[in-house]
Amino acid sequence: MRRLPAGLVAVALLAVAATACGSSSSGSSGKSSDGVTTVRVGVIPIVDVAPIYLGEKKGFYKERGLDLTLETSQGGAAIVPGVVSGQFQFGFSNTTSLMVARSRNVPVRAVANGVASTGKAGADFGGVVVKGDSPVKSPKDLAGKKVAVNTLKNIGDTSVRESVRKAGGDPKSVEFVELPFDQMPAALDAGQVDAAWVVEPSLSVAREQGARVVASNFVDVSPDLTIALYFTSDKLAQQDPDLVKKFAEATRASLAYAAGHPDEVRDILATYTKIPEKTVQALTLPRWPEEPDRASLERLGELGRQDGLFDEAPDLDALLP
Amino acid sequence: MTRAVVNGGPSAVRRRGAGNAVLGLAGLCGFLALVEALPRLGFVSPDHLPPSTDIAAALVDEMSDAAFWTALGDTLTGWALGLFIAITAGITTGMVISIVPYLREATASTVEFLRPIPSVALIPLAVLLFGTGLRSTLLLVVYAAFWQVLVQVLYGVQDTDPVAEETARSYGLGTWARIRHVLWPTALPYVMTGVRLAAAVSLVLAITAELVIGTPGLGARIAVAQTSHAVPDMYALVAVTGLVGVLINAGARAVERRSLAWHQSVRGEVTP
Repeated sequence: MRRLPAGLVAVALLAVAATACGSSSSGSSGKSSDGVTTVRVGVIPIVDVAPIYLGEKKGFYKERGLDLTLETSQGGAAIVPGVVSGQFQFGFSNTTSLMVARSRNVPVRAVANGVASTGKAGADFGGVVVKGDSPVKSPKDLAGKKVAVNTLKNIGDTSVRESVRKAGGDPKSVEFVELPFDQMPAALDAGQVDAAWVVEPSLSVAREQGARVVASNFVDVSPDLTIALYFTSDKLAQQDPDLVKKFAEATRASLAYAAGHPDEVRDILATYTKIPEKTVQALTLPRWPEEPDRASLERLGELGRQDGLFDEAPDLDALLP
Repeated sequence: MTRAVVNGGPSAVRRRGAGNAVLGLAGLCGFLALVEALPRLGFVSPDHLPPSTDIAAALVDEMSDAAFWTALGDTLTGWALGLFIAITAGITTGMVISIVPYLREATASTVEFLRPIPSVALIPLAVLLFGTGLRSTLLLVVYAAFWQVLVQVLYGVQDTDPVAEETARSYGLGTWARIRHVLWPTALPYVMTGVRLAAAVSLVLAITAELVIGTPGLGARIAVAQTSHAVPDMYALVAVTGLVGVLINAGARAVERRSLAWHQSVRGEVTP
């Protein structure tokens, strides 16, 4: 009686240990003897991160001694905790999410620019679309309508409200609902929502199905809106400033290269997304400036404060590189 | 005897088996024809549900891609590892709880409290602890599958014939011998049911984890196809997960039949 349960308990504990332990082993970056550092970056498999894939292929990271592993995740919700806990050294996140994180004392800071709006109204890589025969003709008409955004209380509803506000409508009366981007064209088609804020490639798909762009919400916030950034944890930034500097340099080089080689950007999309070829050729690419646009971020922070995402506009000095 | 007579003998059983297979195949063909017809006849937009021939073409494309097989391997690794851990932990925990006096009563409310918590609710915890790797999948799979096995073991052991148990005791069988010859054979049919349920649940949770968190595997590939608007690819991958599920269920049933070959429920009555 005595001996057996002890054995069984030991087996059970081992099984639990196999699942629960070792969480620290794979997290930290490893430096091998030849000076190459393994760096894990949490990204979302979307058009916006094409430069980092391209930069890795071009060797911009390798030549600085960084061996990049790009870990795809389905949204910023998994990336921010991943970076804070050290599973990833760096991550990709939209600017509003980082501001919200910072306002809640999550220890993250940006290290490099991510992606920016094209700044051209009607020809941006994201916008608010309605059905071709919709009575909505301008952002003002969105008042009182049901608009789909991918995440509530984030960059989507904040910027769409600004479009409505600027056109003279009542931003408070817009009803936002949450839907994944890829389901928006179908929801719009079926009349479940009156309008949808979509980004590429869903924007091209919606347009192909007859949807019409009524607002370029990014452009309405600021002509050069910085939409996303690469970031790291405060801890890594303090412990290994050299690694952060190398990553920032390589990313800067990647952004510049991507900005100058749109055809190669379209080619690299086929390696990590499954966007159909005709959509790849049709979609509007974002801009990839090397530096974040501070003025646009101040504006975005102010809008976030107005909409109650955080109590006071975030301290950009603590957030930006 | 009675059962054989009712079924009309072994040859009738075989014939009925063949008939079932034909019926099953007809059902599948009907379903495929329906998926082909709905978009073609304009009931749904082919942009949202492509006809089954398009899905089949996408499936052939997928199968020629090495990354697809890697993803399938990743999913099966997460499934098998998670299931193995859940079964081992479930059986050992169940036996310990059943054998140690008062432990069953002491843990009952806790088990009943933890059991209905959906594994999916643990996703934030999994991400926080393990990031987007295999261990996140394992956490969800093990949590979901463990209870299936544990509860069956508890019920199984409770079903032990008290006379057999007392007889074993009076013959001086030790704990190990009683588990081996009395508790385990009684519990085994229950355990196998638990294992079969756990095998199916594990696959569902492995795919869910990949889909939602983005851990490598078929689920993550479905998510990428989804965000990329590669609609036929997405349905092709969904069909693959269904196919894997069918195979896993068939495999689990085969294991069940083999390990319970001696049991009444499988062998039936002895025919002269």
